[in-house]
Amino acid sequence: MPQVKSQADTAMAVAASGIRAQQARMRIIAENLANASSTARTPGGEPYRRQVPVFEPRAVSGGEGVSMKRVAMDAKPFRTTYDPGHPSANAEGYVQLPNVDPLIEALDMKEAQRAYEANLNVIETARSMEMRTLDLLKR
Amino acid sequence: MDTSAIPILAMLKQRLGYLGERQRVIAQNVANADTPGYAPRDVKAFSFDAAMQSQARVAAGGVEPVRTAAGHLAGGPKRISSSTVKTVKQLDSETTLDGNSVVLEDQMIKMSEARMQYDAAIGFYQKSMALLRMAARPPGR
Repeated sequence: MPQVKSQADTAMAVAASGIRAQQARMRIIAENLANASSTARTPGGEPYRRQVPVFEPRAVSGGEGVSMKRVAMDAKPFRTTYDPGHPSANAEGYVQLPNVDPLIEALDMKEAQRAYEANLNVIETARSMEMRTLDLLKR
Repeated sequence: MDTSAIPILAMLKQRLGYLGERQRVIAQNVANADTPGYAPRDVKAFSFDAAMQSQARVAAGGVEPVRTAAGHLAGGPKRISSSTVKTVKQLDSETTLDGNSVVLEDQMIKMSEARMQYDAAIGFYQKSMALLRMAARPPGR
């Protein structure tokens, strides 16, 4: 039997995929912030590299939802400081620090939150529209 | 009785289908608010004149071509269905560097617009049904 999906159901499924994607983005932001000062394990090695989520449209139950396609690495150069006593310092005494900027992460977080709320709004509206339709049965 | 034989109910049904489709398209835009290169879509505006004209043809009975062979398709007035809704690309007020043109505020405005219009159409439907019920009620009761 073919499954019949109402437009409101599809809208909700699409918004749910958006919520999932924003949550994955939040996780990556958290990882970036947590590792904002993670230096290399070995002397002269590379520190933590900032991760960037990449989204792509994906079909979900009759609509075009979204999913996280991959996590890209930020190519921005690392910051360096002179600290010869540091365990990860290279031969010249310089330590490479992660290319994470807490300010950018904070702004990204706000954006993710806003998109998350917008998706929640879509679910709420789709629900109320379906409820109004079902109310037709009441009388 | 087929309720879509009554023009106003058929029109409202089409209107509800259109608004439901619009809500679905907006959901897609909002979900893809951070997808690089995504262009937001919207459904083609509901044209009252076009709907009126097709309804007028239905009401007038139209002219039906005679089928002289089994292979001929049935003519006559077009059936109304929500699948006639067309989706077109419609960019919002700004495009970001990664090619994404979804502006959440614009989408939210469109969404509440669709919701209000949907509520209005449901209200009209309820009123029309009330009229039918009144007509079907025996007099004096």
